[in-house]
Amino acid sequence: MNDRILFEDVSKFYGEILGVNRVNLSIPPGITSLVGPNGSGKTTLMNLMTGLVRPTRGRIHVLDYKIDDPENLFRILGYSTQFDAFPKGLNGFQFVYSYLRLAGRDSQSAEQMAWRAIERVNLVDAAKRNIAGYSKGMRQRIRLAQALSHDPKVLVLDEPLNGLDPLARSEMIALFRATAAEGCYVIISSHILHEVDVISDQVILLSNGYVVAEGKIHNVRSEIQEHPTQILIRCNRPRELAAKMLEYEHTIEVSIHKDERGLLLKTRDADRFYLALNEIALNGIDIESVAPADDDVLSVYEYLIGNEEVVR
Amino acid sequence: MKRIWWAQIKAVIRLEMRKTFFAKRGLWIYVVAALPVMLFIAYAIATSSQQNRSADIARQGERPLTYQDLQAVHTGMTGEEVIAILGKPPITFHWKENRPPESEKGASIEILHEDYHYSDGQNDLYLGLADGKVQSINIRQGNNLGQDSIMFAGVFQFFFLRLAIFFGCLGIFMNLFRGEILDRSLHFYFLAPARREVVMAGKFLAGLLATCTIFVTSEVLQTIAFLWHFSPGARDLYLYHNHGLQHAVIYAGVTVLACVGYGAFFLVAGMLFRNPILPAAAILIWEGINPFLPTVLRQFSVIYYLKSLCPVDIPTPPGTPPVLALLISNSDPVAAPIAILGILVVALIALYVSSIQIRRMEINYTTE
Repeated sequence: MNDRILFEDVSKFYGEILGVNRVNLSIPPGITSLVGPNGSGKTTLMNLMTGLVRPTRGRIHVLDYKIDDPENLFRILGYSTQFDAFPKGLNGFQFVYSYLRLAGRDSQSAEQMAWRAIERVNLVDAAKRNIAGYSKGMRQRIRLAQALSHDPKVLVLDEPLNGLDPLARSEMIALFRATAAEGCYVIISSHILHEVDVISDQVILLSNGYVVAEGKIHNVRSEIQEHPTQILIRCNRPRELAAKMLEYEHTIEVSIHKDERGLLLKTRDADRFYLALNEIALNGIDIESVAPADDDVLSVYEYLIGNEEVVR
Repeated sequence: MKRIWWAQIKAVIRLEMRKTFFAKRGLWIYVVAALPVMLFIAYAIATSSQQNRSADIARQGERPLTYQDLQAVHTGMTGEEVIAILGKPPITFHWKENRPPESEKGASIEILHEDYHYSDGQNDLYLGLADGKVQSINIRQGNNLGQDSIMFAGVFQFFFLRLAIFFGCLGIFMNLFRGEILDRSLHFYFLAPARREVVMAGKFLAGLLATCTIFVTSEVLQTIAFLWHFSPGARDLYLYHNHGLQHAVIYAGVTVLACVGYGAFFLVAGMLFRNPILPAAAILIWEGINPFLPTVLRQFSVIYYLKSLCPVDIPTPPGTPPVLALLISNSDPVAAPIAILGILVVALIALYVSSIQIRRMEINYTTE
């Protein structure tokens, strides 16, 4: 029994255009974010995962299911795409209800499940309105309701926060977290890095069709050796601490925080830094807090990919 | 078939019927289906008006006439002889003609022309007399169910079957997939836990239901319009004693089979081609040249079987050019069971190709 979403040496070419190349991934439960600039291969990876496009090479397994078996695959998978088109003439409720009828549900259970999904995305009041009159955020939410409606184990969401207002964003993020907490696989693509940072258990960084890094963001950061680790230290005597720190060979740069109550330090060896800090703390400087300053998706993204179309 | 597949097919049909029947871009299909109905209504109105006129003329006559009376007149008879047989004409016209002299010195010749118009209430007799003698005879026969049924067969075979149903099926079946690719909404079906073949079957049946409803309704209305101007007695005689009802049912059956055959063709064409004009033209030409093809090749067309099923043969008038005669006649008809089986086999082959195609289909709207 396979409990991962597996990509084995997967490549996809659209004619001569590269979609993704030589992708090997093993995605565990929890929230996994696909991060990368436009054209990096996020949507292609999602479409591959859901069988909407077929790999030119390689194999994909979603838990125990093959992607060319939609009848079984979509019983455990829900996909909210970026395609902003709907079957004509349907209202929000009919859209979700029709999907569930298409899944073979009887009328009564389809109706119950449709309303439950619509409630989860807070769209009950607009459910009987034609989708053609929906705002972008409402269309996003009704797609999400469709993807959630059959309680899938795997939820694939392409830019799910696009078009949502701040309140709706936080509601949706809470929803993703709750879904992941139930042991589900939530795969999210986004180019809004601070949101990814907040919600992701692990990230997959993509650039030009290649996976450049994957895993928990802290682990990814610690493997980037060529960039010194930045650490923010809050203390009562920052200038004194800065002077002491500069005596160590692994310290590259120190700057005093503008509020004079801390300092930002760059070190090429985080482990030796923490040992040194312990010694200094024992000699009377009161350390309030120590936190990595570049242990986030944005920093990792900039180190690995550069500054392409990144939204902070 | 699994029960869930049938439930899924019904779900697809429900979604598709709404789109197929009420799509603005499909309005022209209703117009095409309504054209032959309007033609027969216009014909019925014109014929009824003519019948009323004939009845009026018959009433104005000195005595009731029969068709044999009208046929008794021949050229060379004098006006008096005609009046002796048919009575005084209810309608007459006369005028004088001055012919130029045959020589320069001669006087011009004055000729009296008379037109007599008689009717037995159904058929009209037009006589042209010159100088008191019958010169021309023209009998316009009233409505004749035998002739009209041949006209109905001609309209059915050459307009309804080959053009109306053909293009109607093109409009509906090609759009089942192509339309949704252009609308960028096909992924809705592909994201459902349903076999793609089941989705295809649902869409095909939805298209079939729509085309059959539209075109069988049209065929029934055509039959009603075609029989409208006949007397109830003539209608009963035609329907219940001269195979009229049987013919109407066969025409409806042929309509359904045409929708099955062309529908399957256009379903697969909609998946294989981005531009519907090319496959439509190719199939139209293929169906058009069918009479000129060897028998082996003819079997791979829909019209070959449909023509064999049509209940009324259209006679080829003497003097018809051979190419046209070949097009009109059905020189090599097949037995009805073979024709029905043939259409179903052709449709099944097309649906099999469609099922392979839909399994391979990818959602990649940007390349469309």
